[in-house]
This record gives sequence, C-alpha cells and structure tokens, in this order.
Amino acid sequence: MSEKQLLKGNIAIAKAALEAGCKCYFGYPITPQSEIGEFLSLEMQKLDLGYVCAESEIGAINMALGATATGTKALVSSSSCAISLMQEALSYAASDELPIVLVNVMRAGPGQGYIYPSQGDYNQATVGGGNGDYHTIVLSPSSVEECALMTYRAFYLSQKYKNPVILLVDGFLGQMAEGVELVKNPYPEIDNSSWILSGANNRDSRKIHSLEPNQDKLNNHIRNLSAKYKEIEKNEVDYEKYLCDDAEIIITAFGSLARAAKEVCNHYRKKGVRIGLFRPKTLWPFPYQELGELSKKIKIFVDIEMNLGQMLKDVKLALSSGAKVSFIGKPVGDWLKLEEMIQGIENIIKENQVASL
Amino acid sequence: MQVYSVPKSIKKDSKFTFCSGCDHGLAIKLVAQVLDELNLREKTLAVASSGCSVFLYNFLDVDCIESPHGRAAAVATGAKRAFRAQKQDRFVFTYQGDGDFASIGLGESIHSALRGENISIICINNTNYGMTGGQMGPTSTMGQITTTSPLGRNEYYHGYPIKAAEHIALCDGTCFSARCALFDIKNIINTKKQIKHAFECQIKGLGFSFVEILSSCPTNWRLSPKDAHKKIENEISKIYPIGIFKDKTNDN
Repeated sequence: MSEKQLLKGNIAIAKAALEAGCKCYFGYPITPQSEIGEFLSLEMQKLDLGYVCAESEIGAINMALGATATGTKALVSSSSCAISLMQEALSYAASDELPIVLVNVMRAGPGQGYIYPSQGDYNQATVGGGNGDYHTIVLSPSSVEECALMTYRAFYLSQKYKNPVILLVDGFLGQMAEGVELVKNPYPEIDNSSWILSGANNRDSRKIHSLEPNQDKLNNHIRNLSAKYKEIEKNEVDYEKYLCDDAEIIITAFGSLARAAKEVCNHYRKKGVRIGLFRPKTLWPFPYQELGELSKKIKIFVDIEMNLGQMLKDVKLALSSGAKVSFIGKPVGDWLKLEEMIQGIENIIKENQVASL
Repeated sequence: MQVYSVPKSIKKDSKFTFCSGCDHGLAIKLVAQVLDELNLREKTLAVASSGCSVFLYNFLDVDCIESPHGRAAAVATGAKRAFRAQKQDRFVFTYQGDGDFASIGLGESIHSALRGENISIICINNTNYGMTGGQMGPTSTMGQITTTSPLGRNEYYHGYPIKAAEHIALCDGTCFSARCALFDIKNIINTKKQIKHAFECQIKGLGFSFVEILSSCPTNWRLSPKDAHKKIENEISKIYPIGIFKDKTNDN
C-alpha cells in the first residue's frame, strides 16, 4: 500500500477499513457515499467477508450491532437524512458499548435536502441524535489522506473505548480525488476477549443489553459511561494549528473547508496580516481547552462553516472572556469560495481595525 | 430414577418472572431443551428483542444480546455474517414477539428470510402487545377486544391481522416455516419437534428457519390460564392453523 494512488475520499475510507481489519460492511445506497459500499461489495465478496446490501439503513446499523457484539470489526456508511434513521441503534450501541464505525458523508438538509456539499450534521454528530446521556466520538478529516488515517483511528478508538465512532466527512471530500500514499494501519489491536459474545465456552454466559429495570443499576451504568466519556475527553482531543503562534486573527473551521481556510491565511500573510487557523480534528471531544488557551492572547476569531453556525456555539464556549467571534458561512451549495471568505474577513479586519504589518 | 431435570441451557436458580399461565416460560424451556439436545449451548448467540420476550436473557444460560425493538433479525444477520467472516461456526437465533417480528420489524424479518440468512427465529404470537398492557397488535384477531380496540378489531377501522408463518413460507430464502401451539401435551411435544427441526436447518446451513408459537397471555386476555389455553385450542388455532408451511428438507 505504499505507492501513490489517485483516490476519492470514499474509496480511501473503504480501502483503509479493509486494511484496519474490518470484516463486515452493512449499508444501503445514498449519494454521496455510495462508492464506499460499491467498492467493498466486490472486495469483501472476494475475501469471503460479511457484506450485506441491507433492506434499509435501520437494518444496516442493527446488523453492525450484531456483528460488533461478536468482536468483529464492522463498518457502516451513509449520509445525513439516512444517518437520522440510524440514531436509535447508535444510542443502543453507545449504551451497549459496541464499537461500530459509522461514516457520514454529509449532504445538505434538513430532511431530504439534496446532494450538495454541506456541513449541516455537526450538531447531530456531536450532540447525538439518539435518546439518553451518551456521546459518540466524532472525527473530521480534511483531506483524502486523512480520510484513510482517520478511518484507522476510528477503528482503533472504537475498540479502545468500546464506543461508536462517527467519521464525519463532507460530501465534497468524499467525492474529491487526490493523490495519496496509503500507509499501513499504525494502531495496535485491542484485546476484546473479556466482553465479546462468541459462545459460552469455558466461561460464564454473557449478555449485552441496554434495558435495565433496576434504577440503581441504570444510574450506575450511565455514570460509568459518563466516566468513560471524561477519559476520552482527557486523552483523545485532536486538532491542528496553522500559523497560530503570532496571529492576530484566528479562523476556526473543520473538514475540507479548513483547507480552503488555510489559503485565506496564506493570502493575508502575503499582505502582512497575521491570520492563523485552528482546526478541530475531533469534533467530539471538542478542543475547548486548547482553543480557550489561544484566546487568552488572541482576541479576534472567525468561524467559517458550510452551515449556519453549528460549531460556532462550541467555539463560543471555548473562548475566554474578551475574545469575540464572527461567523462566515452558508448552509448549502458551492463550497465557500476563497473570495467569499476573504470578503468576509476583510470586513472583520476593518471592524476590528487590525493593522497590516 | 431421575425423570426430569432443568435443562443445562437454563440459568441455575432463575426465578419465573412471567405472569401466571404465560406460555413464555414453556417456550423458553423447550428452546433450552433443544439447545441441550443439539449440543449448541457453548456455540450459541441468542438475540432477544423488546417486549416480554426480552427476558429470554434472564433465563437462558447462553450468550445473549438484546436488540432494539423489531431489529432482532438484522442483529442476528450481522452476528451470523460476522461469525462466518471470522470462520467461526456459531449458532444464532432470535426470540421475538409477534409485534416485534411482524409489525415494527417486518422489514427486517421478511428481508432476512428473502436473503436466506442462515439464522433461526422463534416468534411468540400471543395476539397482542403484552408488556405494554395488551394493546392491539399485528396478529390481534378480528373481533378481539384490546385496550386500543375496545369495541373489537374490525376490518373497516383496524384492518386485518398478519399470518406470519404463511408469509415467511413465501420467501424463496426460507428453508422452514411452521406454526405450533402449547395448549396441550401433544402440541407441546410437536412444538419442541418443530423448534428442533428449525435449528437443525441452520446447523446444516440450509437458510432461514422460522417457528411461530401460538401462546397464551392470560393477564391481558382477562382469562384464567386454563381458559386462555382453551381459547387457543378452540378459536385462535382455527384462525392461525397449526402446521408446516414450508420445508425445503423435504425437497428431494
């Protein structure tokens, strides 16, 4: 897997899943993620692995519940409105502590919306669309190479924490092809022998369930999950800082839009305006502390998203007092153009009287 | 001489928690006896569902997973496919109520049969939603009074019930589909025989096997356990005939 290949984000995810040891895929077609299922349909059949064209997205995610309970790595991919259909099972997976890896190659919503690129599912992914106190880990790649790397990471984190992981990809990235060198899976295997359901042979029988009529037990269960989430928040926050050290203005952005935002930084650097980029790579857990730290010395922030400001509320929560944040974004359609972002930032520079060097 | 012992697939010191006269206990015992007889206990994954049938995992001493309401066939599909991908020979069955299997989960149920998933399904048909207090279900019979059909089910207002075993028999991927009951000794023996045959279909890798069991729900039917069984014998089994609707093992 070392030579450079021209790959779409979707195919990079599929290839990385196989390399990560994924042995089952369950899915139902929806644009713009169908290439993942199409690619794996042939590869998995050739390898005699578990591939099912499910009757629905509800069927698909529940098949993943069954597969992961046996200790088998399983992938499910879908998009936006169909991810909504999966929220019940995702809540079960969180409660059952099953390591499902779910790829959401976002399209525009709400409802059916359309296949235009969008980042409109930030809220659903990070806050959780299912019932109850739970969290899913959410990873946000910004390049095709990162699609592959974060697929590895998704499988690793899901196993490490026995928790569902969402790979939140924007439709632009899923469909975009670029030259990448796929590296080998860098993560170790996690021993799952203490909890998987493989038959009660030479051990006591086990049960995996979310129903708990005993109030104390249910309370404890939710508190234990919460303690696990705190561990994840402590250990797994990931982010990228680009030209932040001397910046007067920081852009916050995620996904492929963050790459375009780098160009905005470069554009202004040439003009002597010091702009940097802060990109969360984990949307949950969100890098509140790191962003808050930055805002102690830098006071002007610009959040750029392909939605109407969903990450914005997390950015606001992170900023320390005295720092303020403006928003540039649109919900759907052509990706924000460099000129549009520059125009938006031009106004912010004027408002804040930021001087060029 | 010992004439009876609790099946080893039943958890030791498990206490009966179903309503008095409920057939769930008997059905679970028959499943456990068949698991013992076919030496499946150590290689079994049971999928429990939502409703009274979920308590399967409190009684069976095998690995169990609870599925979201209606999704047992999908959960079992995923587990069985995963075992196969891992080159592990494991036995997977679901234990569901009629509401779970034939109403909210009908899509998952029918499609696992059509795909010929090599799993087995036990469906307890007690003609109502038992756990929630006896509401009208997909199998409630015409004229049946329930808490949501207080004037009796009728064709104009509520529509018709589903005959699960006959529908499943129509699916090309189905190897075996039968309906049985538990109202007397003869039928109990027959039910065990059908469960065993269904499980053997999976062991032989022949595809989807299905057993619908007509079961009593004395609490919600407002009947004594004895009268509930009489109702199955005299009324319900006339509407839902006992029999085998498909058996591919008879082909050739």
